[in-house]
Amino acid sequence: MVSDAEYRAVETFLYKEARYADEARYADWEALWTDDVVYWVPATTDPGVDPNTHISHIYDNRQRIATRIKLLQSGHRYSQEPASSMRRLISNIEVEKNERDEFVVGSNFLLVELSIQAKHETHMWAGRTTHTLRWVDGELRMSRKKIVLVNAAEPLPNMSFLI
Amino acid sequence: MQQTAIDPIRYDTLVQNERVHRSLYTDPHIFTDELEKIFYHGWVFIGHDSEIPQPGDFITRQVGTQSVILVRGTDNSISALLNRCAHRGTTVCPAERGHTRTFTCPYHGWSYDLTGALQGVPYPAGYGESFDKKEYGLTRVPRLESYRGFVFVSLSPSGISLADHLGTAAQLIDRACDLSPEGEIELGAGWIKHRYPSNWKMLPENDTDGYHLGFVHRSILKAVGSQYRRFVGEEKSIKSVLRDWGQGHTEIDFVPAYQQPFEWFGGVSEGLAASYLAAMERSYGKEKTQRRVFDGPPHAFIFPNLFLAEMNIAIMQPVSVDECVQWHTPMFLKGVPEFNKRLLRQSEAAMGPGSFLLPEDVTIASRNQVGLVTRNAEWLELSRGLNREYVDSQQQRVGHMTDETTNRAFWLHYRSVMQNGRA
Repeated sequence: MVSDAEYRAVETFLYKEARYADEARYADWEALWTDDVVYWVPATTDPGVDPNTHISHIYDNRQRIATRIKLLQSGHRYSQEPASSMRRLISNIEVEKNERDEFVVGSNFLLVELSIQAKHETHMWAGRTTHTLRWVDGELRMSRKKIVLVNAAEPLPNMSFLI
Repeated sequence: MQQTAIDPIRYDTLVQNERVHRSLYTDPHIFTDELEKIFYHGWVFIGHDSEIPQPGDFITRQVGTQSVILVRGTDNSISALLNRCAHRGTTVCPAERGHTRTFTCPYHGWSYDLTGALQGVPYPAGYGESFDKKEYGLTRVPRLESYRGFVFVSLSPSGISLADHLGTAAQLIDRACDLSPEGEIELGAGWIKHRYPSNWKMLPENDTDGYHLGFVHRSILKAVGSQYRRFVGEEKSIKSVLRDWGQGHTEIDFVPAYQQPFEWFGGVSEGLAASYLAAMERSYGKEKTQRRVFDGPPHAFIFPNLFLAEMNIAIMQPVSVDECVQWHTPMFLKGVPEFNKRLLRQSEAAMGPGSFLLPEDVTIASRNQVGLVTRNAEWLELSRGLNREYVDSQQQRVGHMTDETTNRAFWLHYRSVMQNGRA
């Protein structure tokens, strides 16, 4: 069971994480991760997909997240230079606990991205996210974030922002 | 230089040796003409044998902008069928891949076998006795040929053979396959599709453009540096070269820049290298193996829609004059599963919408497309390296990695196809 206070803490974390991503606060976003992580955007909506045999849009470990952030901070990541203007809405939050006492959190998102690096185009991104969160020194951190886009298997425009 | 639908398009004027005209990227009439002459008349890559290993396996792909089913029949032969019911034109197969015994149209229940032959028509009495099912199959793509598992089709019943289309560039496909101890590649990891808001020709041009690497991809060079050193440095110190393989096929040849085996793979652990080398040596012997692990895979474009992207395979799909899609999948080597697992992670870092390399190419292609709409500046420069390219002993035109030898090779072949009306 998840208490009201726990639910509130999880919800607050999701909103904060979304705001850091939306506002291109790269270092703040990176600091939300633990060390043993997976940041995963499958290239299919198939729930049974194995990331070790099937290609993903993103399948980052901690080191690769660091590289991703370094690129964004380099001033030469032209696909995010300048950073897209973004806002995302999060809803349909469902919180469970796993056997290791971590929160496993499902939520839906709708993200509106104004891409301003070439043509000025508005892109809509939507899907369901599963976060795994745990307490580290009194703060919630994420060890896993899986984002299943509704159009994961379709042609996608650049997705080099933080999804 | 405005073109209209009724004027003949003068490709010999639009494509010159030292420059090309901007309308080639922006004129919808030219796009329609390209579909006809390049994608519906010539050979195009559609898929790989390994994607449909069992009888009944199928995939659907776009040839130009048309939906085509590639399916393996009960006799193990492969058919390419237009995805269109012979009755009312409904697509008979909505899935991108799968396994089936028949294709059944959901509209009125017409069903077809794996060769496209019409099997069943509900309420047949309505057609009278002269109705011959043989005349109402799914339309078969007139020509299908494959080379070492790479399947190509042509929507034209006549034209040059696939062997003539590939010419010596078949060696590039050999070079990829020969990295497998079983001599075969496998495309089994699924595809990622990346949308480009640009004309499709930006992709082949950019794929073998060595000049952009140190600039467009500066963010990754700054972030991880060393592994990409072959792209940068003083002009005179760059050893990689461009090669014109004829028929519009082009390559950046990195081999002259490699200093040790497996450099193309970003190096490998000792354990991985040992098991791979052992498997290769069992198949090919020591000498050939050493050569192959040094040279690695090709970085080459096969006209008009296949990119042998080192350890990835990519397909260019034209959508409209200012939109296209690049598909890619890691090129797995049959017989070395541990190697392939690492390859999957490398592929994700390099290519696709969330990767570390391709989003920059997409952004630049998109900025090109915006720039080329500008009037009063009509031409794109294409002369770089004309002063120093040369023809080598293999009769191949060779240029400095940063030159435009490959762009010119693409465009001169394009001009000949578009002007003469056939690929």
